[in-house]
Amino acid sequence: MEEHLQNLYEVLSKVEGYVYPNEVELNWSILIVLYPYITGLVAGAFILASLERIFKIKILKPTYGLALLTAFSFMLVATMPLVSHLGKPMRAYEIMITPHSSSAMAIFGFVYLWYLMVVLFLEIWFDYRRDMIIWANESKGVKRFLYKMLSLWTTDISPKAVALDDRIGYIVTVIGIPSAFLLHGYVGFIFGSIKANPWWSTVLMPVIFLFSAMVSGIALVMLVYIVLTRIRKQVLDMDCLDTIAKYLFYILIIDFTLEGLDQIHRIYVAEESFEALHKLVFGKLFYSLFIYQGIFGTLVPLATLGTLQFYKPKAKIRRVIYTVLPVLVLMGIFFMRWNVVIGGQLFSKSFYGYTTFKTSLIGAEGYLMAITWLIIPFLILSFLLWLLPPWKKIETNHD
Amino acid sequence: MPQHIKRLIGVFAIFIVLFLVMRQVLKPSSFGELGHFRAKAIYENTLRPMHYTIADSCTKCHKSIRADKDQGFHKKLKCEVCHGPGLKHSLFANQFKGKELPDSLILYKPGERKDCAICHQINAARIKILFDTINNTMIKQIDVAEHNPPDLKANEPAKCIDCHNPHQP
Repeated sequence: MEEHLQNLYEVLSKVEGYVYPNEVELNWSILIVLYPYITGLVAGAFILASLERIFKIKILKPTYGLALLTAFSFMLVATMPLVSHLGKPMRAYEIMITPHSSSAMAIFGFVYLWYLMVVLFLEIWFDYRRDMIIWANESKGVKRFLYKMLSLWTTDISPKAVALDDRIGYIVTVIGIPSAFLLHGYVGFIFGSIKANPWWSTVLMPVIFLFSAMVSGIALVMLVYIVLTRIRKQVLDMDCLDTIAKYLFYILIIDFTLEGLDQIHRIYVAEESFEALHKLVFGKLFYSLFIYQGIFGTLVPLATLGTLQFYKPKAKIRRVIYTVLPVLVLMGIFFMRWNVVIGGQLFSKSFYGYTTFKTSLIGAEGYLMAITWLIIPFLILSFLLWLLPPWKKIETNHD
Repeated sequence: MPQHIKRLIGVFAIFIVLFLVMRQVLKPSSFGELGHFRAKAIYENTLRPMHYTIADSCTKCHKSIRADKDQGFHKKLKCEVCHGPGLKHSLFANQFKGKELPDSLILYKPGERKDCAICHQINAARIKILFDTINNTMIKQIDVAEHNPPDLKANEPAKCIDCHNPHQP
């Protein structure tokens, strides 16, 4: 009995007002925050690569290969937070073995596989095939074997074969853009289609997710490019960074407008859930929504990037700005995902009460696990940059 | 077709074939026989021990109580909602007619204020969801602490069943 009372006391200390028994504990924790976050980074990084390849913005050339490898590294890990969130992770494969057409999550498995294998893998493969054959001849040992294996033991680097690679790579990128939209729109759709939850259930959700994905992906590639260039002791291509910043600004405006529209619509229609959500936003989500996401993650970058469109300070100052801004944007988008996923579970469906999100540092769903899934993509990226350094590639004009 | 495209198609073909083979191997044998699930799951569930019986098995011995209950607001409640699972109880009674039940098979007799409060304690969320618009009835909501409060000084606090017959409240 004592134990029960102790448990009850713990449960009640989390709860304000009335919540249904199954709403006390949050079922979707920090790992489910990471899932749309990482998927968004993939889609965004790919869109940046496609700006160079499809939309012929040649000034972005220094980040093309980097963007692709970044997208690929994060894509390999994108499902891992979901899998490690499962109570029985060893059964995860069943979603692919016996998918049901009415399950959005089951179909996501195939959308994911399509994007990983047909878009990212093929584009990188066709882009690097010639270089891998050349590098195989120049290297020794394991590296040589890896290059040979990855190029499928082919040796044809005739101009005709290379031109064909370029052509197919182009087609793959063309297919890749709608696929990137599909991939991340789909993640938004999964949340947006949960009609029981008024914080999620909006038809704008896929579009908001998509644009916030682009924002985060572009910011990530920008940051990786700056850090990597510093590590390699090379000179930053400021024109390229200025252009990335310009696109980041444009997309951030769209993202901000869409999210603003969503909130204004919510306020204007003021449905029965409005009071509960209003209290949530000004209570438990105040810091993560207004301060971290709103001010630091959106308004400060918007104001800074906006100013840069009219007034260009010295390169030295711009370099500092371009290093700090992506960090703010990445933090802002992380908290956007946080506010969606965690925020959507903090209020009761009765609209009479709230619960609290608590998670530990260690454990299957703790912060350490989440940090691990954020660090691993960078380790994969480091390996890929060692194996397939974009700066050592033979220049190809994607014309 | 250039050699490298052929090999790439080969790799994808191997991947797809491997996937299809794995699918066949990993798919549970009875999957899809009756619908989008393992048919054997139904059989496996039948192996789980049963605890509850059907309402009529209570009536066999407790006819007068059933008659009372059918007249009152609790007519739609199964006996086991208040008294707990009674399969073993009824099986024993059926098999050994007239024999006294062992203590372990005697069912719970809810008579305390807390027992009635499980359904009848006033609750802001409950009123909304349990209001039955078809029969125009709702589960009576009582503030158990306020309604005829128990006199704590007396040794025997007032019970709900002192005034209300639980079978015909």
